[in-house]
Amino acid sequence: MAEAAIGNTPWSMWYKIRIFINTHLVNIFAGGLFVLLAIFLVFPLVMVFLKSFWGDDGFTTTFYQEFFTYNYYYWSFLNTMILGLSTMFILVVVGFCFAYMTTRGPMWLRTPLKICALMPLCAPPYIFSISLITLFGRNGMINNFFGLDFNIYSWTGVIAAQALAFLPLSFMMIENVLNSQNPSLEESASDMGASEMQIIRSITIPLASPGILKAALLVFVMTIAEFGNPAILGGRIPFLAPDTYLMITGEGDFNMASVLSVVLMVPCLIIFVLHNYILKGKGYTTIVGKPTAVDPKEITPVIKTFLLAVITPVVIMVVLCFAVIFIGAFVKIVGVDNTFVWDHMLNMQSNEAIYNSVKLSLMAGLFGAIVGTLLAYVIMRGKFKGRHVMEMMALSGFALPGTVIGVGYIMAFNKPPFLLAGTIWILILNCAFRFLAVGVEAGISKLHQISIEIEEASADLGADFITVFIKVILPIMFSAFVAGFIYTFMTTMMSLSSVIFLVTPGFDLAAVYIYLTAQLGELGLASAATVKMIFIVLVCLASLKLLAKKTGLKSEKK
Amino acid sequence: MSNKEKPMLELVDVSKSFGDVEVLKNISASVPKGELLTFVGPSGCGKTTLLRIIGGFTAISSGQVILDGEDIGALPPNMRDTKMVFQSYALFPHMNVRKNIGFGLKLQKMPKAKIDDRVDELLALVHMDGLGERTIERISGGQQQRVALARSLALEPKVLLLDEPLSNLDANLRVVMREEIRSIQERIGITTIFVTHDQYEAMSISDRILVLNDGIIQQIGTPTDIYETPKNKFIAEFVGYVNFLEGKIESFDQDSELYSVSTEHGNVSLNRTNNKDLAVADEIYLVIRPETVMIFSSDSEDLPNMLTGEIQDSMYAGNLVKYTIRCGDREILIDQYNPKDSIKFKRGDKIKFTVPKSVHALPKKG
Ligand SMILES: Nc1ncnc2c1ncn2[C@@H]1O[C@H](COP(=O)(O)OP(=O)(O)OP(=O)(O)O)[C@@H](O)[C@H]1O
Ligand SMILES: [Mg+2]
Repeated sequence: MAEAAIGNTPWSMWYKIRIFINTHLVNIFAGGLFVLLAIFLVFPLVMVFLKSFWGDDGFTTTFYQEFFTYNYYYWSFLNTMILGLSTMFILVVVGFCFAYMTTRGPMWLRTPLKICALMPLCAPPYIFSISLITLFGRNGMINNFFGLDFNIYSWTGVIAAQALAFLPLSFMMIENVLNSQNPSLEESASDMGASEMQIIRSITIPLASPGILKAALLVFVMTIAEFGNPAILGGRIPFLAPDTYLMITGEGDFNMASVLSVVLMVPCLIIFVLHNYILKGKGYTTIVGKPTAVDPKEITPVIKTFLLAVITPVVIMVVLCFAVIFIGAFVKIVGVDNTFVWDHMLNMQSNEAIYNSVKLSLMAGLFGAIVGTLLAYVIMRGKFKGRHVMEMMALSGFALPGTVIGVGYIMAFNKPPFLLAGTIWILILNCAFRFLAVGVEAGISKLHQISIEIEEASADLGADFITVFIKVILPIMFSAFVAGFIYTFMTTMMSLSSVIFLVTPGFDLAAVYIYLTAQLGELGLASAATVKMIFIVLVCLASLKLLAKKTGLKSEKK
Repeated sequence: MSNKEKPMLELVDVSKSFGDVEVLKNISASVPKGELLTFVGPSGCGKTTLLRIIGGFTAISSGQVILDGEDIGALPPNMRDTKMVFQSYALFPHMNVRKNIGFGLKLQKMPKAKIDDRVDELLALVHMDGLGERTIERISGGQQQRVALARSLALEPKVLLLDEPLSNLDANLRVVMREEIRSIQERIGITTIFVTHDQYEAMSISDRILVLNDGIIQQIGTPTDIYETPKNKFIAEFVGYVNFLEGKIESFDQDSELYSVSTEHGNVSLNRTNNKDLAVADEIYLVIRPETVMIFSSDSEDLPNMLTGEIQDSMYAGNLVKYTIRCGDREILIDQYNPKDSIKFKRGDKIKFTVPKSVHALPKKG
């Protein structure tokens, strides 16, 4: 500013460049990020879309016709929808029961139940396939013990695994709305003469319905996109995500794989848009004025019995599932030969896979955190049109099924100009871009907390943009950066659906290793690798929690 | 108005502890039918807790709550004939005004047509005719207050409970609404308990006031009792400003029924009517309200009960002037009303002032 005021000095080239950078750097960054998002998120999806219409002889709809003629294909679609809907219904009920208990139930029960409902978060979703096979498989403990002939490779198995895996998602969202309801509303209804059942029906559920709807939609998306559980337990039942994988590895049919991907992607994208732009901010503000402290009251016996009838089997299953994984990692074959062994834990191949996964996750985490932080900054402080489009792109990776992006990546990056196939880079970029959402959201919320005036004040004091960025913005956003890093690290560690398309023989990743050993029935090896993964995830969750405590950043809820 | 034989609501030795903290200690009080009783006291003294005990939202630790002759201490809120207006109104945001008011009636399985009639009646009662179809977000704070009131009245409870119902409204509306609540309450003759920590609100609306502090009832009585003959220094200071003047009773004259009291600043005589329990040689505080004192220039003729002082400060407030008088080593606050027609004093002026004979006195100990 001061130098510009001198006015009559002829401006040097360098000075002009500095002014340009100062005023346009945000937009320059934005442009760069836009290109990155376009290449690594949009382009693969476009490839999938094109490939579903593009045969050897150009544009054609034959693949879609085929999809609708052969009932194997459309059953795959219908089954996926049925799986999504049934898991959704189960989890809405179970999630509500858990949340009601942890917000209205007896104090001593609240924390243990909450821990139980959140426990599946610290393990990949497909852990439940492994446990269920250990318990109910052909040689399963419970089958053997009770002499049952129960077949876990069935609808029941897949739905049970999915419901256990996504319980935390449903629980967290419903608990959140139940917790934020003004307790006076329920008291007031009771004052008007309503019984607890009437209160639940006419007050609690209607008020929680926006949150319940969001939970239902999210569960639906996550369930239909999940690859591991239906692939391991689905047996002969066709489902879209595993079929897409088989279409490529088995038949090399990229066209049909693309059709299946598009069919899977469409409901996910619709729900993503619904969730982010229609339901956003919907909900009732129920707290006006000063809320009064409320002492917990007894739940009516009938309702309590119903809640416990729903909750108890779920708690038992969650605990059993984790228990057999831990036991399975250290004994020869759980339930069959219970001699203690180190073999599974010390298996070389498994350790190498874990090592590779950690390496990949570190790189993806770092890369994702950098891109996420920059994106958050640009979205919040940029002054260009299309910021919302950018935000939507950044957040969409979370809603897109991993298999779809996986298919897209192989097709998009197997030839110049983007020849990445077979390198670790394709994995890094895939994971970094899919899991941007948390880093971006944490960054945005951090920037919401600080006034733009801080930056303006620094600029006013003579700091140019780059100095402001390094000295002021980065320190403020550091916690968001770390949150994005840990989150990307953790999800990359566990993610299976996308990387399974991209790994090359000889470069095993932990998730893929667990999947393959589980497929082969090597449950001990699968359990041992899962235990190591859980340990790493727990460390990540603990660091996130610590970070949240230290910086007041709320990110661990995502 | 009141039915002395059988109170509508009776609290007998009500105690409440949260953990080790005893919030209410042996509260006993009875409320006749049709009375509006106000709970006042500083923040955290247990007003809300006591009200919630009556409503059934908080369990009692010991004691009895008797409603119309029946012990209701163990009943849940939905089985009590008391209805509460919550501080946050607790209106159901997913229902319109009409549905909110009719909520309790519907639960009682009243036929639809009858509910409609009753709701119309209630809407008229709270001056909300025609607004029944509005959603809760689309009515103002004052209107929400009216809906909450109508909803509680719908079920014709025996006792209406209001927890600081006006605290979410701005000052002007607060005055309008408190008058309206009082007029509705008097019209339908409903026994009402009203919680507030605003002393003026309490004075202007109540039949009787219950002053609560340290978990015990400090005093229960009409607004006049509480203001003019407070039982202790805490109550005197809680309701309005007060000057305390220390003194000692020197003698009592049987014929004129006057005590003669010596203070540091001179002697005053005191009526017996307001001070029946005092005896000669008692050490006392004179409870002097600023507006009861008359102020004169130093050259005016001597009157009974006259003391002298010097103006230290004055503040003009339109309808009155607030003087701070230095009297020995003590400051005394005096309000002089209608300053237009009286002498205005300046800082440093020597003045005289009279303490009324009817002044209330508190024993220094006990
Ligand atoms: N559920 C509870 N658990 C523990 N302590 C409580 C509970 N509810 C109230 N208390 C305590 O009891 C005391 C009385 O609270 P109460 O809400 O009745 O006060 P109040 O007179 O209504 O105050 P205010 O004027 O601020 O509304 C307070 O010290 C409060 O901290
Ligand atoms: Mg209160």
